[in-house]
Amino acid sequence: MKRIALLLWLSLGLPLAGANDAHREYDAMETYEPHVRGDQSLSGSYKHWAHPGKLDWRLAGNPEENWKLNWKFMDPPFNASVHGGHFALDRGEELFRELNAKARFARCLGAGKDGLKGLRARYPQYRADLKRIAGLEEVIEYCAAREGRVLQNGSYDNSAVSLYVASKSNGMPMRVDVGKGVMRDAFERGRKLFHTRAGKLHLACSSCHTHKVGLQLRGSVITTPYGDAVHYPVYRTRYFLQSLHLRFAECNLDTRTQPLVPGSRAYTDLEVFMTALSNGYPVTVPSERD
Amino acid sequence: MRSISILAGLAVALVFPAWAQGLPRDAAVNAAAPNKTLEPRVVTNSGRLEWLPHAHNLTPWPTLSHEDRRPAPKPRKVRLAGPLDGDAARGRDIAVRPDKGYCIACHQIPGEEWPGTVGLDLRGFKQRQYADAAVYQQIFDARVNHAQTVMPPYGTNNILSEQEIRDLVAFLQSLE
Repeated sequence: MKRIALLLWLSLGLPLAGANDAHREYDAMETYEPHVRGDQSLSGSYKHWAHPGKLDWRLAGNPEENWKLNWKFMDPPFNASVHGGHFALDRGEELFRELNAKARFARCLGAGKDGLKGLRARYPQYRADLKRIAGLEEVIEYCAAREGRVLQNGSYDNSAVSLYVASKSNGMPMRVDVGKGVMRDAFERGRKLFHTRAGKLHLACSSCHTHKVGLQLRGSVITTPYGDAVHYPVYRTRYFLQSLHLRFAECNLDTRTQPLVPGSRAYTDLEVFMTALSNGYPVTVPSERD
Repeated sequence: MRSISILAGLAVALVFPAWAQGLPRDAAVNAAAPNKTLEPRVVTNSGRLEWLPHAHNLTPWPTLSHEDRRPAPKPRKVRLAGPLDGDAARGRDIAVRPDKGYCIACHQIPGEEWPGTVGLDLRGFKQRQYADAAVYQQIFDARVNHAQTVMPPYGTNNILSEQEIRDLVAFLQSLE
């Protein structure tokens, strides 16, 4: 038995060990509190956006100061305008009713006796049936397929259903437990990825969003990673609905890095990390961003 | 049992290098497309995500995929050979264009609006009296001077050509 284990180690371990020697670079690895209040020791802007109902309209109206609101002035209730996110929400409700005609779809998503209420606040989570951690959009794709529908992760209809499901948790604080087991491992992998230099410009997420928060990149001010994942899927004012994984792909493209497909393990780990940094912040959809 | 594990090990060893040395399987690429890299496009009221060819091939550089075993280019020390022979006017163009150096994203440049504040203020750069060779190295690969810099290695990663970096040096050294 020992010899078999050794053989397995030799056949699996050696090529892996060799490959892991590849030179990669990382930003100084910071620690993060898996709660939105962790921003107090990063950008300190949290006090300005801690309560979505009590934003300072003077900060919102000042282009040099509004970064301190972490873009929350584009979320309800401060932003009371009707936008593409509301149309997506209507579409999502319609699709959800069709998918859930036999009451199986909601159960597949993980709805309990409270229905969809609170479901968004618990994703991403470990799914025993998938044997891995999955974000809500990945599970929507999976559960829709079981109803015979194609709702690809990142597609408009998938994000619309995700938005509808999230709307049933509006006002409820995110609570993704990354304190133990596979979720903690995913959080740690996500944290490492956040600090991993990649792409043609050789940048990590943290190069700007941890180490340069509050400084300007051309016309935009760099904001904190805390409290950011909670408003996804988001309506982008350049006219499309965007899931968090598609936002990661856009971040990658913006920094000239080859993007990954939605639902990839790396993006899911980043989602776990980013969502944990929104723990304690109320779900607020539909939201807009530039 | 042993023969199974040997076979399994062999299979892994044979299959592994095929993707270990290349692109990870979860990269958004079309190997047959001219630029390989794809970008997503969301189609309203559709359950399918569309993928369009991206304007640039981004596949040569490492991604965030867990499967990506490719190395990042190491810091490279360079020597500026011969006379600088840079064109300051071309340098300014390179400094402001998003598809070129786009220095303005992080640095202040005289005469340009909406500058970045992440990097050094470049106004009056000439007064700092840096040697051309030092400025050339900083743009080519700033990691040689400061390992944790956020400044992209413009030469090492082929973001700019050697001549373009010479033009940038000429431009910076012209800023009174």
